[in-house]
Amino acid sequence: MSSANIVVETNIILAYKMSDDESSKDVTVRLGAAAGDGIQSAGEIVTKIFSRSGLYVSTYNGNQSLIRGGHVWFHVHAGESRVYSLGFGIDYLVALTQLAYDEHYMNVNRGGVIIYDSSVVKEHDFPDHVTKVDAPLTKIALKYEKRPIMKNTVAIGLLCGLLGLDFKLVGDVISEQFFRKPDVQKSNVEAARDGYEFSKQFGTLKKLTYDYTKRRTFMHADYAFALGAVAAGCRFYAAYPMSPASPILHWMASNAKRFGVRVFLGEDEIAVVNATIGASLAGARSLCATSGGGFSLMQEAIGQAAMTETPLVVVDVMRAGPSTGLPTKTAQGDLNMMLGISHDDFPRVILAPRSPEDAFRTAGRAFNLAEKYQLPVIVLLDFAIGDGGYATVENLNPNIPIERGKIVKEAAPDMHNGVWFKRYALTEDGVSPRALPGTPGLMFVAKTDEHDEFGHDLSDVLAGLREAVDMRRKQFNKRMIKLQGVAKEMNPPDVFGPDKADLTIVTWGSSSLPVREALERLWGDGFKVNSYEFYDIYPFPADVESMLKQASELMDVEQNYTAQMAKLIRRETGVLIQKYYLKYDGEPIYPIEVVKAVKQHIAGSNGR
Amino acid sequence: MDPRVYESDTRPDWCPGCGDFGVLAALKNALITLQIPPERVFISSGIGCSSNLPGYIRTYAHHGLHGRPLPVAVGVKVANPNLVVIAAAGDGDEYGIGFNHVVHTARRNHDVKLIVMNNEVYGLTTGQLSPTSKKGQRTKTSPDGSIIYPLNPLSTLLGVGATFVARGFSGDPKHLSMLIQEAIKHRGFALVDVISPCVTWHDIYDEVRQKMYKLEDVGHDPSDLVAALHRAQEVDKIPLGLFYRSEEKPTFEELVSSEVTATIPVESVRNLSEQEFAKAIEPFQ
Ligand SMILES: Cc1ncc(C[n+]2csc(CCOP(=O)(O)OP(=O)(O)O)c2C)c(N)n1
Ligand code: SF4
Repeated sequence: MSSANIVVETNIILAYKMSDDESSKDVTVRLGAAAGDGIQSAGEIVTKIFSRSGLYVSTYNGNQSLIRGGHVWFHVHAGESRVYSLGFGIDYLVALTQLAYDEHYMNVNRGGVIIYDSSVVKEHDFPDHVTKVDAPLTKIALKYEKRPIMKNTVAIGLLCGLLGLDFKLVGDVISEQFFRKPDVQKSNVEAARDGYEFSKQFGTLKKLTYDYTKRRTFMHADYAFALGAVAAGCRFYAAYPMSPASPILHWMASNAKRFGVRVFLGEDEIAVVNATIGASLAGARSLCATSGGGFSLMQEAIGQAAMTETPLVVVDVMRAGPSTGLPTKTAQGDLNMMLGISHDDFPRVILAPRSPEDAFRTAGRAFNLAEKYQLPVIVLLDFAIGDGGYATVENLNPNIPIERGKIVKEAAPDMHNGVWFKRYALTEDGVSPRALPGTPGLMFVAKTDEHDEFGHDLSDVLAGLREAVDMRRKQFNKRMIKLQGVAKEMNPPDVFGPDKADLTIVTWGSSSLPVREALERLWGDGFKVNSYEFYDIYPFPADVESMLKQASELMDVEQNYTAQMAKLIRRETGVLIQKYYLKYDGEPIYPIEVVKAVKQHIAGSNGR
Repeated sequence: MDPRVYESDTRPDWCPGCGDFGVLAALKNALITLQIPPERVFISSGIGCSSNLPGYIRTYAHHGLHGRPLPVAVGVKVANPNLVVIAAAGDGDEYGIGFNHVVHTARRNHDVKLIVMNNEVYGLTTGQLSPTSKKGQRTKTSPDGSIIYPLNPLSTLLGVGATFVARGFSGDPKHLSMLIQEAIKHRGFALVDVISPCVTWHDIYDEVRQKMYKLEDVGHDPSDLVAALHRAQEVDKIPLGLFYRSEEKPTFEELVSSEVTATIPVESVRNLSEQEFAKAIEPFQ
């Protein structure tokens, strides 16, 4: 990348926040173990306990593409006021395995705590100003089962004790989590209580203000989008399993009965997207989702939907590529693919929600845009906010307007035998009324060949004839002109922070979140910085050029190698951004990295 | 029913004598005989000479991508099971690039009917070898004759559990119409493989006429899977007719309607009620 891309060592910079800083009203917890140790479930329990203590949460699931062994971790950031991202460093590290200790001990904040069991984990280079909690997690767990499987539960009890949380809540959440396994439900609560009791010798190490009357809702963007889609009338869902999009499939399948969603597990992503197009053509609100590899297979069909002017909503939950890449790691590397899906030009819409809340709202919009303009709408999520991270969601409004666009319900009296419905009628806004199969008298062929207003081929016996050439141009224009209508509905980036700043960070989608936490930190340090958060990506929103030109200085933050968003901005506005913080190692952006990058840029340095 | 309801103002652009004319005539005849109104019919085709068919019969249709008629048909049928959904395409489409979909659509027993206009070549792309081309067949891609054995779609489909397998001949549209009617009446996936010769690149009319015989004339029992497999393997003769039919398996659409949800997606574009929404959020609290 350009020399102005600052590379920051992640490991070093994580240990930055002093958690003994009294003013800090948040806490970060990291649980590390081997896959199969139940760390994801432990992380969910902790997240739930925090959420029911009235705290806001944001989490990250550092899992691996395996089912057992290896090293997995779960990070929870919780705060009394809204948290956006993963916070700064680690306040509480729970290291259930040696690898968990080795990988994370150096990122524990001063004033933080490391919980481990010296019968399993050998500590070394123990950081200064960190409390050592060596607890007999295994021994306690063995009281309840032959294998020390419950040591994570013991650790949860211990952690909650140190945090000064009410044990009743801890017990409730744990027994809820194990409600399907009544045989171990009680013993898990007991094991947690043992851990909780053990914590008392250390007193309360860090306490936030808890409000047990508040139950905050948390979910990740995959679930939020699925929920938003069904709330907006989606009743057909198709997929082929692929991380990190699979939770959408799982949610749809387990809620199919309740909400009347027909779920189709296709033989591959080509079948999936074509079936989704078929269902949409039939008149259903239909959805499919995948990740980059599956999307690559879908491309030809997305061009098809644009050509046949069939509404289509496809979600790409991005993961780190190229190719198989890092299936359980995060990236924002698929924007270029979306700008260039399939061959030749056709209209498309690209939306990139920033958070689970945003994803919920985006679902209804995506369907409305797809139906009103009869074109493909692509929604870009990523692992960081999708399968990989929960966040508190507030104010989900189920009363989503449903706008289906121009649908003709009845044939005109002059429709007679032999004559086709003018499915591709030339109109001013480019949108032709459509008919749903089953409606008498309005039969039409949805055509991938270039066609006239009736859907007759221009590709064979008419190809190259003057009239056909003229009609080809008209149909092409008609398809493209729809983008002008869409553009009016595209939002410019949201400004986070003051209107005027010395440095403006340009970012998009989920990267907006770590940038927000970085900005809050930088404001505290006296920096005048703000960010532009793009979430309506294409067609490019109007008036962005003047916004960008007003900014004193711009810095691009995103998760791909080639600064894909910055390139799009240049293409659309001519504005050249010359400072970057780009990350493409698969790990999420941590706020501290952005803080460092900003400080280095302001200091005028060009990286290390 | 007025037989003209299926008429289209577009004339087929097929070469004179192309087998696909016979298929078009048989299909129209079958739909009219069964008295199905055209608005209830959805035809999904791919890309090839044969896939131009939807333009010549006035129903709802999708003229889509090479190899993908079936998944589009499946989506239409799942979203609106009240429609009669037919996929129609060539052997390149269905036995080549899109064969994966044929196998799985049959396995899941979707209630869609697949008519393959099998001419043993890629017609539209000027006659190259297709998966059903015979060993020794000369084409632009096999100047010395094909060195590969063909795919046998009938025995393959019987093998993957297709519930209806038939073969027709475009040179006998009456017989073909009967097979298509049976396919439409069948509860489940149906394959009607049609020998539909390409007079331009691979004219096999004479050969077919010499070798063909009808299964119903030799007392074949279409409920007998082993006998069907046996017949499907014949190469010296060309059996036509219904090889196999079984309605023991439920269709995919019946399963989702009864076991999963009775609501038809196409009729249920609505918001969730406050209560439904509250229930949906509960697990996330
Ligand atoms: C993805 C893709 N690959 C290749 C083609 C080119 N192509 C068009 S028709 C065709 C084969 C047609 O043969 P068949 O399906 O047997 O139909 P026929 O023309 O013989 O009726 C091919 C390969 C295409 N349209 N799309
Ligand atoms: S090339 Fe062959 S298949 Fe195509 S229209 Fe002509 S005869 Fe029919």
